[in-house]
Amino acid sequence: MSEPAVTHTGTEAQHSAGFPPFKTESYPSQIFWLVVCFVALFLILWRVASPRIAGVIGARKGKIADDIAAAEKHKAEAEAALAAYESAVASARAKAHAEADANRKVLEAETEKAKAAADAEAHAAAAKADAEIAAKRAEAATHVTKAAQDAASEIVNRLIGVTVRPEEAEAAVKAL
Amino acid sequence: MAMNPMEQFEVKPVIFHDPLFSIAGHPIYFTNQALFMIVAVTVATLFLTLTVSKNRLVPSRGQSMAELSYEFVASMINSTMGSDGLKFFPLIFTIFLFVLFNNFLGLIPWTFTATSQIAITFTLASFVIITMVIVGFMKQGLGFFKLFVPSAPWYLLILLVPIEVISFLTRPVSLSVRLFANMLAGHTLLAVFASFVVLMVGAGGIMYGVALAPFALIVCIYALEMLVAALQAYVFAILTCIYLNEAIHHANH
Repeated sequence: MSEPAVTHTGTEAQHSAGFPPFKTESYPSQIFWLVVCFVALFLILWRVASPRIAGVIGARKGKIADDIAAAEKHKAEAEAALAAYESAVASARAKAHAEADANRKVLEAETEKAKAAADAEAHAAAAKADAEIAAKRAEAATHVTKAAQDAASEIVNRLIGVTVRPEEAEAAVKAL
Repeated sequence: MAMNPMEQFEVKPVIFHDPLFSIAGHPIYFTNQALFMIVAVTVATLFLTLTVSKNRLVPSRGQSMAELSYEFVASMINSTMGSDGLKFFPLIFTIFLFVLFNNFLGLIPWTFTATSQIAITFTLASFVIITMVIVGFMKQGLGFFKLFVPSAPWYLLILLVPIEVISFLTRPVSLSVRLFANMLAGHTLLAVFASFVVLMVGAGGIMYGVALAPFALIVCIYALEMLVAALQAYVFAILTCIYLNEAIHHANH
């Protein structure tokens, strides 16, 4: 066997034949170092590592929760802003409609008034024109009668050489 | 002779060939086992402290692993003992990491596997059972003895109580031997197949090619041993949780 030069008291027995885990002479050393290492690891994990990892995990969870809360707040704000905008748009639209209605009514009333005035003017003008036409027609009719008398007198005078008196001509034209 | 597969389990002094001191007449050596236990504890400590930084919102790879191991143990305690078991967190976490890192460290060639020693595993298991008994009596007083009395008709209890007592007494044995035997068997198997490879290559000729078979087996067994190393640490830790749960809660079976 390629044994190291470890042949001090106790070690010689350790290296003799036999199932190594059952060599009880190594047990005190094994248990001593187990206790030392285990207690050291326990203290490190208990006092240093666990609080540190727990702190990191907690900080991250807190950060994520904060971020989610902030995002929700922003979302609520955005929704409120949207609602405000929509209500403002709706009220502005309603106001615009009302104003447009009022304007239209005013305009309609004015139009009606103007139309009525124009109608009245037109009627008056038409009546006046009618009267003038009637007067002119009457006048024209008298002129026609006169012309017919003159024409009749002249015709008679040329045909038979008799001078017809205006009274006779008038009576004759009226008799036609 | 140099290929004795049991040689790897030999606890022997390193660096200092003389006992450092003695306790109650027992000489304490600084052994290969002590060295690798210290390495395991150091690696575990560095793994859990250096990787973790509060300034990183998104953890680094190492930090993720440290956090994962933390949360793994925390959820293991939560699922077996409930939230009031979390006061045992440092203890369970230590047991889990100690066994885990010693198991894994032992898989590196030329290292020593501390958990392949019955003295180590039995001390750990006894510590767990003693802790359980102390906590049990502190929490439940004499009610802790109900652990041995399942709810059954009295005539069955005559049979059941001794069975419960025996099963309780064998707990430190089963807990320690499970880990010890798994480690010992796996490492022995690796050493045996490794010695086959050496023998075959030494024989030369056609044996060069045949040596590939045990070599391939070593690769497979090594992968299996990685699983066993993690699994045994988990089993040890979860059994500790289950035992401590019986100590802090009334057993209802």
